[in-house]
Amino acid sequence: MSSQPYQGSTSASQANPNAVDNLTTGRSVEYVCGDCDAIVALKRGEPIRCRSCGHRVLYKQRTNRMVQFEAR
Amino acid sequence: MAGQKAQPTQRGVKKAAQSAAGADSEHNPDVETANSSKRHKQEAPKDAFSALLEPFYFGKALTDPINTAEDKWNLLPAFLKTKGLVKQHVDSYNYFVNVGLKKIIQANKYVRCEADPKFRLEYTDIRVLPPNRVDEENFEHHISTVTPNECRLRDMTYAAPVAVDIVYTRNSQRIKRRNVKIGRLPVMLKSNLCVLQGLNDREMASKDECPLDPGGYFVVRGQEKVILVQEQLNKNRVVVESAKGLIQASVTSSTHERRTKTYVIQKKGLMFLRHNTLSEEIPIVIVLKALGILSDQEILSMVAGGDEAYQDSFMVNFEACGKEKIHTQEKALEYIGFRVKIMKKQAGYRARNYHLEAIEYLSSVMLPHVHVSGTKFRPKAIFVAFMARRVLMAMLDPKLVDDRDYVGNKRLELAGQMLALLFEDCFKRFNTEFSRSINKVLKTQNRASEFDAFTHFNTNKFIITEGLQRAISTGNWTLKRFKMERAGVTHVLSRLSYISALGMMTRISSQFEKTRKVSGPRALQPSQFGMLCVADTPEGEACGLVKNLALMTHITTEDDEVSVREVAIQLGMEDISQVNGKELHAPGKYAVHLNGIPIGIITMPKHFLNNFRQMRRMGRVSEFTSIHINHYYNAVHVATDEGRICRPLIVVENGHSKVTARYLKALRRGNMGFEGFLRRGLVEYLDVNEENDCNIAFGEDRINEHTTHLEIEPFTILGAVAGLIPYPHHNQSPRNTYQCAMGKQAIGAIAYNQFSRIDTLLYLMVYPQKPMVKTRTIELIKYDKLPAGQNATVAVMSYSGYDIEDALVLNKASVDRGFGRCQVMKKSSEVLTSYSGGREDRINAEQISAEKPFHDALGVDGTVQVGARLKQGDVYMLKQIPVNPTASDTTWKDKNLKYKLPDESYVDKVCITENEAGSKLFKVLLRQTRRPELGDKFSSRHGQKGVVGLISPQEDMPFNEDGIVPDIIMNPHGFPSRMTVGKLMELLSGKAGVLDGKLEYGTAFGGSKVDDMGDVLLRHGFSYRGKDYLTSGITGEALRFYVFNGPIYYQRLKHMVQDKMHSRSRGPRAVLTRQPTEGRSKDGGLRLGEMERDCLIAYGTSQLLLERLMLSSDVHDIDVCERCGQIGYHGYCQLCGSGAGVSRLQLPYAAKLLIQELGSMNVKVTIGLEDEFPRE
Repeated sequence: MSSQPYQGSTSASQANPNAVDNLTTGRSVEYVCGDCDAIVALKRGEPIRCRSCGHRVLYKQRTNRMVQFEAR
Repeated sequence: MAGQKAQPTQRGVKKAAQSAAGADSEHNPDVETANSSKRHKQEAPKDAFSALLEPFYFGKALTDPINTAEDKWNLLPAFLKTKGLVKQHVDSYNYFVNVGLKKIIQANKYVRCEADPKFRLEYTDIRVLPPNRVDEENFEHHISTVTPNECRLRDMTYAAPVAVDIVYTRNSQRIKRRNVKIGRLPVMLKSNLCVLQGLNDREMASKDECPLDPGGYFVVRGQEKVILVQEQLNKNRVVVESAKGLIQASVTSSTHERRTKTYVIQKKGLMFLRHNTLSEEIPIVIVLKALGILSDQEILSMVAGGDEAYQDSFMVNFEACGKEKIHTQEKALEYIGFRVKIMKKQAGYRARNYHLEAIEYLSSVMLPHVHVSGTKFRPKAIFVAFMARRVLMAMLDPKLVDDRDYVGNKRLELAGQMLALLFEDCFKRFNTEFSRSINKVLKTQNRASEFDAFTHFNTNKFIITEGLQRAISTGNWTLKRFKMERAGVTHVLSRLSYISALGMMTRISSQFEKTRKVSGPRALQPSQFGMLCVADTPEGEACGLVKNLALMTHITTEDDEVSVREVAIQLGMEDISQVNGKELHAPGKYAVHLNGIPIGIITMPKHFLNNFRQMRRMGRVSEFTSIHINHYYNAVHVATDEGRICRPLIVVENGHSKVTARYLKALRRGNMGFEGFLRRGLVEYLDVNEENDCNIAFGEDRINEHTTHLEIEPFTILGAVAGLIPYPHHNQSPRNTYQCAMGKQAIGAIAYNQFSRIDTLLYLMVYPQKPMVKTRTIELIKYDKLPAGQNATVAVMSYSGYDIEDALVLNKASVDRGFGRCQVMKKSSEVLTSYSGGREDRINAEQISAEKPFHDALGVDGTVQVGARLKQGDVYMLKQIPVNPTASDTTWKDKNLKYKLPDESYVDKVCITENEAGSKLFKVLLRQTRRPELGDKFSSRHGQKGVVGLISPQEDMPFNEDGIVPDIIMNPHGFPSRMTVGKLMELLSGKAGVLDGKLEYGTAFGGSKVDDMGDVLLRHGFSYRGKDYLTSGITGEALRFYVFNGPIYYQRLKHMVQDKMHSRSRGPRAVLTRQPTEGRSKDGGLRLGEMERDCLIAYGTSQLLLERLMLSSDVHDIDVCERCGQIGYHGYCQLCGSGAGVSRLQLPYAAKLLIQELGSMNVKVTIGLEDEFPRE
C-alpha cells in the first residue's frame, strides 16, 4: 500500500554546498500572521515572527493553484 | 480564523465578533441582538446569568406571575453562574494558589546549611505572577500577551512564574530580596490566575477561546490535561470495620509532615493499639496510662462510661495491664518505648532512652492529626478512648460497623490538593539541592571572593518547573516522602465533542483496584443521591468505580477551624479539657467533634445544631461547614475539611420555604444572585452527612412540620451528560447509562474556536442542529449552542431486510442534503530539531521536481500548499535531517513526509511556528469530508445505537399525504426489549413541536406532558398517538398499517467504516516470527484465532487447518538430519559431517525459532523423523 516507488531523492542534495547557500538567500514565501493578519514574507532560516505584532504563529496562505473538489 | 492579542486592534475586534457569530451558526441570532442591546446600558460579562437579565427568561417574561413551586429552579442557572460547571477544579486550584502555597512555605520556611551554621535562608512570602512565556521570564514590568490557545498551537506550557520573597545571610549580613522566581507553575484555565478569568464572550473571542469552554484543565506541552477528581476514604476520621470477625477502629492521620494509620483492635476479647512503627500491639490500657490517664476508674469511665455492659467487656483489659505490672506512667512509657521501631540507625552505640522515645512517639508519630502541646497528652488520650469505645460498641452491636462505601465517609481529592502534594515535594527537593550546592562552596575555607548564596538560587529553577510539568504531562505522581506512586492521575482532555470534554471535567476516579471482586464499591449508594450522577458510569471493567458529579454538586475546600470553635463555645459547649471521664459519657451528654476530633461536650444537641445552623446562615462560620448529630455515638460532628461533596438546598422554616416569590422576582430582575440567597440564609449547602440528618422535601407541596429543606430541582440528581437525555425517567435505567457513554462519542460542534484549533484528531459535524426536544440541562450546559446531532424524521417500521439487528435505513436524498455529514481533521506535526553543533533539520524546497507526480501538492517552500488534495503516497513536506549532526560534513538524509491513508484529504491549514525550545514547528491540518455510508454508526439519545444497513433512494421510501419522507427508518423490534419509552415520548413531543413551531422539553421528572402533545397533534389534524398513514414508495399502495413517525434527535458516532475497513491478501510480515503483521495500521493479516481453530479441529478439516496456520502464515523449509535430529543446512548436517539421511521438511518458522531459542538456553531439541507412509 504505502510502498511507493519513490527512492530517487537520497542523492539529490548530497554534497552540494551551493544548494545550502541558495536556500538561505533564496526567495521568500509569504505567510499570514495568526494574530494581526499581516502578511509576513519569510526567507529560509529567518525567525518565525510577525513583523508588525511579534506574534509567533504564522499560517501559510491558501494556494492559488486550481483545486478540484468532488461534490458529493 | 486567527488569534487576537489582549488589546485587540480595531480590526481584530471586528474579526473576533464575526468569528463568534460565525461559529454560533444561524440558530442564535436573537441572542446576539439581545446582547448588543444590553451592552448599550452596561458592559456586563455575558454568561449563564445573562439570560436572566434579558426581557424573556427561558421563555418567561419579567412580568409573568411567579409560581414558587415551579420557578424555584431559576436558582439553578444562578448557581451555575457563580460556580460554573467545573467550579470544583477551579476553586481547588485557586485555594492552592492563594492559601496552599503559603502554607507550604510556612511549613518549609528555613533552609540551612551544614557547613555554616550561621547561614540561613528564610522564605517570607510566595506569590504566583501572571502567566507569561518562558522567554519573557526575565522582563520586568512586562505584560505578557500569552493566551492558552497560543500555548496549544505552539506546544508550550501555559504556566506562570512562582515568585518568593527571601531573607538570607551574606557575610553575616541579612539580605532581603523580593520577587525571586523559583519555577513555573502550570496555570489552570479560567482560574484566578488565568488570562481568561472574568472575560465576557467578546473578549474570549478576541483571545481565540471559546466562551463555552469549561476551563479547569491545564495546557502542558501543547496538550490539554485534566487532573481527574480522585475518590478516597476520608482522612482523620475513625472508621470501625469488621475484618474476619475482628472489630477494629482505624484512623488515617494526614498532616503536612506525616501520613500514618493507627488502629485500635480487638483480639481475644482484649483491646490493643496497633501502629506501623510499633513492633507489637500494645494493650490499650497501657497506652492510656502512658498518655497520662493513671487511675483505672478514669480509664473505665472514659472508655465505657456508665454502661455496665460496656464496663463488663472492657474490664478484662485492666488484667492485661496488671499482668505486666504497669501502674505508673513511667512504666507505661518504658513499655511503649521498648516497642518503638527505630527508624534511623544511630551513629555509634548508645543506650536507648525508652522513656524519651515513647514521649516522642506519642506526641508526633501516633495520631499526628490530634495536636497536643508539650506533654499534655489528654486530647490524644480522649481520642484513643473514643476509638476504644467505638470498638466496644461495635462488639456488642455489629450494626455499628461503619460503611466504607457511604459517600459521607469519602473525600474527593482535586487538582489543587494533588498539585499541593507535588509542589511541596518539588519545593523540598529544590531546597535540598540549593542547600547542597552552597554547602559545597561554604565547606572550602578560603574563598577568593565574597560568597553570595543567591547565585546558587537560580540554578535549580528547573526542579520545580520540570517536576510539575512532567507529572502533569505523564500523570505519574511520585512522591517519595509519602511513598506515593500513582499513575494515570491526569488524562488528555477528550475533545471528541463538547459533551465529552464536559463529561471529563466532572469525572471521578476511584483508587479502588478494578480486579477485586467486591460489589460494594461499585454499587449505587443511596447516599449519592443528588451528589453523584446515578446514570453516568462506564460499562465493564470500571463500572461503578468511575463516577460523575451531578449538576449542582460542589466540593469543599478547607475552612477555618477557629471560628467554628468560637461559635461552638458561644453556643454553650463545654471544652473537652475541662471535662473528666465520668462526664464525658454521662447520659444526655453529646460530644462535639470538629473534623473528627472531640473538642467539647454539650447537653442539648438538637438545640445546639439548630443554633449552629442559624449561625452558619448568618455567615458567622463558612457556608461549607457541615454539622450533624450521630445519635448512636452521642456525637455532634462539625466538619470544615476539604473534599466533602455538598449541594445547595432551599431552607425551610416553620413549614414554609424561605425562597418566596419576592426573592425569585429579585433574582429575575437581576437584583439578587445566588450569593445573595446564600447570604440571606435562603439557601444553604449541605454535605452528605448533614443531608442524611435532614428532612428534605421533594416538592413544595410535600413540606410538613418536620421538613428542614426543600429540593431546588429534582433533575439535578443527574449529571451534565445524563442531562441530555429527554424523558430519562421513562427509560429503563441501563439505557440511560448507555447513552451517557455514547453521548461522548457523538460528532458535533466542539467549541466556538474549533476552526482555530489544531488537534491531533477532530471530528466536526457539518450541519449540527439543536434538538427539538431539549431539557433544562441542555440549556444550562449550552448543549444547544454546541450541539452534536440532527433531528431526523424517523419512521418506526420494517423496511427491506437490511434493518435487522438495529440496523437503520437512511434516505439517500437526506444524505445528499447533508444528513450526518461530518469532517475529520487530522494533524501532522513536525519539529525541526536543532542539534548541538548549531545545525538543525531543514526543509529542502530545491528537491521539488515537476516530473514526480507525488510532488504535485508541494509549494515553493517545500511544504504542502493549503487547499491541495493529498492522495496516497503524496509528499507533503520535504524534510531533511543531517546524517551526522555533530560532524562538520554537510550531507543530508531525506525524511520526507508522505500521506499514507488510502482516502484522500485536503490540506486545511499549514501552521508555522516556534516551540518553547525555539525549534521550528510545522503543523499541517488535513481535512476529510465524510458522508454517511453503509456501516456507519448512529444513535438516538436513548442508548439505541445502530449501523446504517441500507441507503435507500428517496423514491422507494414511504411518504405521508404531505409528502414527508423519513430520513431514517428504524425497525420496531428495537423497542419491546429495551423499554425506552422516553424515545417514544421524544418522538411525540418532537412532532408536536414541529407542528407548533416551538421546542418542547423532555426534562427529567418533568417536561412536556404526553397528553398535551397528543392535543397539539390533534389540533393539527394528526393522530394523537403520533401514527400516520403512509404510502409505500415501492408499490405506490397504502401501507396496511399506521406508522409511528416523527423527529428524533440522532447522533452520529465517531465509529466509521472508513477508519476500520480492512482486508489483505499478501502483505508485510513481522521480522522475528515471519508471521503476518497484526492490525490495520500495519496492513496486518486477519487472524484465525484459537476458537476458530477449535471449530476446524472439531470439523476435522486438517488440510484447511494446515493451510491456514502454516502455509498461509510462516511456512519454512528446513533440513533435518535423520541421524542426530538436528537442523542441518543445505542438505548437509554439520554435526554428523555428512549429507546422508538429511531430509527437507516444512514447519512453521515460529517452531524453528523456538527450537533455536531453546538451543540458546542449552536445551537440546531433537526432531525424530519417520516415514509418512511406511513400507510394511
